[in-house]
Amino acid sequence: MLAERIMMTHLVTAHVDESISDVLVRMRQAELRMLPILNSDQTVAGVVSTFSVLSHIVPDYIVSGDLDQVSYAPDMGILKKHYSEQARKHVSTVMERAPLLISKNESLLSVSASLISSGKHEYALVVDPTLHLLGIISTGDILEFLNSIQAGDANDA
Amino acid sequence: MHNVESAASTVIFGWDPTWVAVAILLLVYGVIMSEKFNRAVLSLLGAGLMILCGVLNQQQAVAGIDFNTIGLLTGMMVIVAISQKTGMFQYVAIKAAKLVKGEPWWILVMLSMVTAVFSALLDNVTTVLLIAPVTLLITDALGVRPYPYLFALILASNIGGTATLIGDPPNIMIGSAAHLSFTDFLVNLTPIIPVIFIVVIAVIWFMFGRDLHATDEKKALIMQFDENAAIKDVPLLIKSLFVLFSVIAGFTVSHSLHLEPATIAMFGAAVLLLLQTFGQSVEEKDHAYEGIMAEVEWTTIFFFVGLFIIVTGVEHTGIINILAEKTLALTGGDFAATAATVLWVSAIASALIDNIPFVATMIPLIHSMAPTFGGAEAIEPLWWALALGACLGGNGSLIGASANLIVAGFAQRAGQPIAFLTFMKHAFGLMLLTIGIAHIYLYLRYLS
Repeated sequence: MLAERIMMTHLVTAHVDESISDVLVRMRQAELRMLPILNSDQTVAGVVSTFSVLSHIVPDYIVSGDLDQVSYAPDMGILKKHYSEQARKHVSTVMERAPLLISKNESLLSVSASLISSGKHEYALVVDPTLHLLGIISTGDILEFLNSIQAGDANDA
Repeated sequence: MHNVESAASTVIFGWDPTWVAVAILLLVYGVIMSEKFNRAVLSLLGAGLMILCGVLNQQQAVAGIDFNTIGLLTGMMVIVAISQKTGMFQYVAIKAAKLVKGEPWWILVMLSMVTAVFSALLDNVTTVLLIAPVTLLITDALGVRPYPYLFALILASNIGGTATLIGDPPNIMIGSAAHLSFTDFLVNLTPIIPVIFIVVIAVIWFMFGRDLHATDEKKALIMQFDENAAIKDVPLLIKSLFVLFSVIAGFTVSHSLHLEPATIAMFGAAVLLLLQTFGQSVEEKDHAYEGIMAEVEWTTIFFFVGLFIIVTGVEHTGIINILAEKTLALTGGDFAATAATVLWVSAIASALIDNIPFVATMIPLIHSMAPTFGGAEAIEPLWWALALGACLGGNGSLIGASANLIVAGFAQRAGQPIAFLTFMKHAFGLMLLTIGIAHIYLYLRYLS
């Protein structure tokens, strides 16, 4: 089974010079946790996710564990301050610049292995040789596809 | 440091023991300075070589280990490891910031004061380990640059640590070697520390303080910190404070009770370990003890063990006596000039190299000067000169003290790295100023 058979082709994307807050609104409306980010020539520049935005809002010295607890700090004040510092910035400042890229001719087994071995990716972007976006495959898409095949087999039996 | 009975040693290949001992010392100190290897491993290797090469026999090596220093360090490390779990450091830091209504400059002053006091009563590494992250949180909320605060914290920790017997490892070593009590340090060193602190804070105001501003909204954010939420374990806090104050009270009377501070610290540590786990099952107790023991800085303890043996080896060869004679010849046998030399050389050396091996080497050297100046009591000002020089000298550069490097690590993680040369540009002059004040103090009190 090739990647192009199950990839999602109805895509919601954003451009590198859009603001983080605008992109977050679009993600919310589309009920997505990640969006591919495109350059002005429509090639893939990266991926932004709710995780990557949040990791830029929470200061490194808190994430690093230097403070064994921060329950005494005014959390909303600090988070709001850092969010407002980030919100107007271009989405390119928080996007992941090395997303998992695959070709449409890769097998499902190969895509699954790449998703697992890359560790942090739940999505692979399907691109052509010029890095133009063709589709997206998520770990959920693969499992859903396998589940539907099994259900089909059971019905056939 | 113990005086080791002279015993003829058979050095390997019939080499001159002096050269072998000095070569081992220089080799170990040189590699420590390169920071390529763990310093505890290096000092233990050096200690082993002293024995294997025949400079010392095993009995002499063990006799050279100052168990008062080891015991005091270990005992205080256990007490601090338990106390820090209560959240009291964070509580005091937040309370201090709120006391001054979130005013950026006064927060810097208050956090520096808290750091200095904690560094004097506990150890400065633990103090900055716990205060620096809270400082980052406070400066973040204030929207001000953390560097001036972290810079002040470093200086305050080393200044505060100078004040007492237990504030800084060099003082523990000096106190043990020269039989100087906790009270001796309180009487002779503590009085000058507030003066030095105030002068340093005043200079920091001229350097950074005038530019520290925050909006009313940001100051209001500081007032929203909840210091009570920082306290994680009230019963443990009460037990820790009880033991901590008892141990400090014990230090002040230990001399008259003919007890070493190490005994008080180790006993206090044992009592706190018992109190901490009171009412728990045997498994829970074992788990808790293992957790606390894991937090003791064994690397530092073993570093000291190896270092004491290396220095004993060098001392054993008589080279320290020769160095003492050369130093005395250089100062013309003048006591004031000798004290000044000890003070300034210690300060410069401690700014550039680890002050612990430096002090370990200086201790037998100063001991050797005692007969020239009329005995052990007469040379007491030299010990104060060494303590002031070695502890305050740590402020001269980022590598001058362990606490400095810990704060630099926090700054790095906060995305505000402290550059080595930038710190030195700001700190070295200030360090020289503090040594100048210490010099005047020593002169007026002991040398005039």
